[in-house]
This record gives sequence, structure tokens and C-alpha cells, in this order.
Amino acid sequence: MSAVPDSEPAFERVISARDVTKRYGRTVALAGLTADIGPGITGLLGSNGAGKTTFMSIVLGLRTRDAGELTVLGHDPATAGIEIRSRIGYAPEHHDLPAELSASDFVRHLAEMHLLPGRAAMQRANEALWLVGLGEERFRPVGTMSTGQRQRVKLASAIAHDPELVLLDEPTDGLDPLQRTTMLDLIRRIGTEFGLHIVVSSHHLEEVERICDAVVIVEGGVVVRAGAMADVRQGPEGLVVEVDDRVEELAALLREHGLEVVVDGSRLLLGADEGVHDAVRDAVAELGLGLRRLEPRGRTLEDVYMGAGS
Amino acid sequence: MSQAQLFDLGYREYDGARHRPALAILTLALFTAKRVLGLGRGARHKVLPAITLAVAFLPALVSVVVSVVTDNLLEEDLISYGEYTFFIGSALVLFAALVAPEALCPDRRSGMLGLYLAGPLDRTRYLAGKALAVFGVMTLITVSPLLFMLLAFVLAGYAPGAGESVELLLEIVASGLATALLYASLSLAVSSFTTRRAAAAVATVLLFTVPVTVARTAIDSADAPNELDLMSFGFVASELSYRIFGETPEEADEPISQLSTELVAGGLLAASVAALFVCWLRYRRIEAFR
Repeated sequence: MSAVPDSEPAFERVISARDVTKRYGRTVALAGLTADIGPGITGLLGSNGAGKTTFMSIVLGLRTRDAGELTVLGHDPATAGIEIRSRIGYAPEHHDLPAELSASDFVRHLAEMHLLPGRAAMQRANEALWLVGLGEERFRPVGTMSTGQRQRVKLASAIAHDPELVLLDEPTDGLDPLQRTTMLDLIRRIGTEFGLHIVVSSHHLEEVERICDAVVIVEGGVVVRAGAMADVRQGPEGLVVEVDDRVEELAALLREHGLEVVVDGSRLLLGADEGVHDAVRDAVAELGLGLRRLEPRGRTLEDVYMGAGS
Repeated sequence: MSQAQLFDLGYREYDGARHRPALAILTLALFTAKRVLGLGRGARHKVLPAITLAVAFLPALVSVVVSVVTDNLLEEDLISYGEYTFFIGSALVLFAALVAPEALCPDRRSGMLGLYLAGPLDRTRYLAGKALAVFGVMTLITVSPLLFMLLAFVLAGYAPGAGESVELLLEIVASGLATALLYASLSLAVSSFTTRRAAAAVATVLLFTVPVTVARTAIDSADAPNELDLMSFGFVASELSYRIFGETPEEADEPISQLSTELVAGGLLAASVAALFVCWLRYRRIEAFR
């Protein structure tokens, strides 16, 4: 399945996987995973054990696949692992970083390991730490930092060497709601403002829905749904109407006009009947209601996820 | 017109130079060497390396000071170049037990190994960087004291002629490199089996003390062949040192002293290569990604 918008030419695919299989003994981690991941921010969504981390490790060339084809930035990671990894930034799920190192030294060292000369690595490390909001804290030992700060240190280390592709494994793990919001905004900003391609592994639907341009939903080692976020969420045609009061009255009036109406809490879900927009306008005006929302019907990612899993 | 310049442009694309991937090995080696010596770290991380280095330098310092103060070089009273490795044997073991575990174990324990391997390093290159670091740091203790001694004697006017001094220099380097190779490779192999520094340090000490006891007991009590003394790794290194400098140990009747130079040198090389191979095999199987 493809998470690349149809308009994107093939060479712009950042990751292309065809029937990728990986087994650990008798356990099948990836059972013929097929997906195309394009530019922008892509969410790799799935429950724990779905195969997300295994897929990421194969993308990095750290594990070999048993079967299938895979290209990352135009290369096969099984044969060009070093070439690919020098162009990738990676932030792991775990927070175990060298406790005594300062954030600045840690990020600088990883930038040097990604082949930046010493002075450039130091400058880039500082810039990346300022970007993630740790500029003032950059000389603090990582071991004294909170989980939220460590997550940002990992993000800084993943982008300091200016990679083409950034892999973030559960970047909001262990964060409180406020930190999570900040981190998501940061990832979105990095993906849009600096043009880095980002793959975010997560099992939080709302996170993926909020910041990603595309999504790949993995369950049981296979892709169950993938595509641009707008395409994936494409639902039945029609309208969603939300008013401030007297929902049932509005529903009854619309039904009198021959429309199919489903009441969903404070919302009304209408079909794509001809003249539905005019009917809603007239009914709302007739009842003197305040119109809060009028938009095409779509599905939330949760709808898609639950539907894909069933 | 304003002369103001904007220096802080914030995070932006990087289009500057990048090193070749092979240089990542050297970067890792330098970083590791600094860490194991406690450079750029708190004072407590510097204490043990500094003490061990001081212990290793002490005999050289004493020799030089005594010679200069008494204005007399009494060769028979001073430590010779050849016996230096034997003399600082304990410091060598302690240093190896300190350096290799510090170089290898924390990376696996903290998850840094996964971060390294997610960059332009594979497992072999990672190990090459670590081995280079441990070997380089070990040469600080196997080569530097003797170089210091030679340099001090040259400056004090006690050195032999220029030709002999150059020969001595080459012997110091050869002996120091061989000793560093053995201690580095064996301690690396031991450290590859655990994520705990303390366990690796203890195991390293045991590796240099238990086999020698076993071998010499077997040779003395059960008439085992002298070749078994090649398991006495510390004595193998010091015996080779004696021979490189053309000296004879005081206790020349030890089993290792009965073996040919080729066998002693071959034994040292074989043990080193085997240890590095074990280390490489271990790292092929280690789960680095989590």
C-alpha cells in the first residue's frame, strides 16, 4: 500500500517496501509488509508488537530481512547500510543516554559520528539544541534531565547532521500532555519548515493525525491501510452539522425535507443529497440556531484504525 | 553603513564538508580514549587512570631521579628497559581491567551501541574504533614510561651513542606495542561478555592471574609441557620484552623462558588474534537495537 500521494513521482519515494518479511525463530514480525513512504511527515501507526520497530531497524540496515525488496533513499539498506545511515537521523524509543555527558557533547559527538567535521558538529549541535528549546540547558549532563528534555536531546541528535530522513521511534513516550503537545509541534515544524522527511513511529492515533501528512497502519506485520492522511480519512460523502442547541428539532425539520439524518451527540450527519447545503441553511435560519460547524463528512483516524483492525 | 553581522542564523541546512565514512572509526576511537582516561569528565573519573599511570611511571621516574641526583648511572641497580614490563605487570593488568570495560560495557548498557550502529558504522567498524582506542590508551602505559626514561637519560647525558639510542627507541616501541596488543585484545574479549564494568574488570584480572597459576601448577606438579606457560599471558608479554631488548630475566629457569622466541612471539600474537576474533563473534550476535 502507498502512503505517497498519487501525484508524487516514483523517485520521490523515500522508502519503498515490497513484501518485506522478517522472522525471529517461529515468530513472524513482518509478514510481507508492502508500503511506499513519500516526502513529508509519515506516521507509522500500530499497536505494540505490530512490527514498527522491526521495520525501522530493517530500514536502518541494522537487521536483515528474510525476503522482499526495500529501498531507502534509493538504496537497498542490506547492501548500502553505511551510505544510507549517514543520511538518516534516528531517535530511539529508549531514554538511556550517557548520563555524564552534557547535552551539547552528546549531540556534537553523534553529529561527528555522522561525519561532520569537529567545528561544524559543535555549531550544529548548539543550533539543534536551541531549536528544540534546550539552548540554555545544553551544558547540563543528560543524566540530570527530565524525560521530556531527554526526548528533545534525542530529537536534536537526530537532526544535527542535517539528514535527509529522520526516524523517530515513539518520540512522545513518557511525556505529559503539555510536553507531548510541545514535542509534536516541534516535529511538525522540523518537517515543514526545514524540509526533512520524517517517519514517526507511534501507537497514539491523535498524534499521528495531528502532525502527519501520511500514515502507514501496521498490524500483525502487514500494512492494513496506508496513504495520504486526507485520503485515508476519506469517508462517506455528505455533511457534518453542529449547532449550539436543539439538535433534535433541526434533525426533525431536515427529515421533513426528505433528508437522511443521523444524530451523533451534538452533531448531525447528513447524506450527500442534492440541495443539502440549502436545506441546512434554511432550517438553521428558520429555527434561529447558531451554526457551529458545517463541513464535509470524513472519518477520524480512529475510525480508520478500528475499521482496519476489524 | 552598519558593520553589524549576523552570526547566529539558527538551525538551517548544512551544505559544508563531510568526512568519509571510514573516519567515523577514528572519531569513535578518540572519543572513547578521552572517556576512559576521564578527560572532559568529573574528577572521580580521572582518579583511577591517573593513579595507574603514576604507578607505571614511578619506576622510570625513580631511575631517572636517582641517576641524576647521584650523578652516576649504576645499571645494575636500576630497572632495565627489558624488565620494565615485568616490573609494572600489576599496573598493566589493572589498567587493562579499567580501560577495556569502560570502553565497551557502557555502550551496551546505555543503548549507545544502537545509536552508533544507526550511523555510518557497522559492527566491525565499531569494534575497530573501540579496539584502536583501548590499544592506543594501553600504549600510554607500555611505551610512554620507557620513552620518558630514554629521553631523560639522553638529556642527562647517560644515553648510549646516537645509533644505539635509535635502536633502543625501536625496541621500546616494538615491546610496548606487543604488550599493548596482548593486554588490549584480551581485556576487550572479556568485556564483550558483560554489560557490567565491574564484572568485566574482575574477569580481566582473573584472566591474567588464574591461567598462570593453573599452567605453572600443571608444569611443576604434572610435568606438563613448558608450552602450557603460554597461558601465562602476563609472563608472555614480559618474556617477549626481555628478548626484544636482548636481556635475560633474573629467574631464567621459568617455563616461559625455556621456549623459543618464535614460540613466545607467536603465542602472544595468536592469543591476541583469538581474543579479537572472540570479541568480533560476540558483537555479531549482540542485540543492539531496542
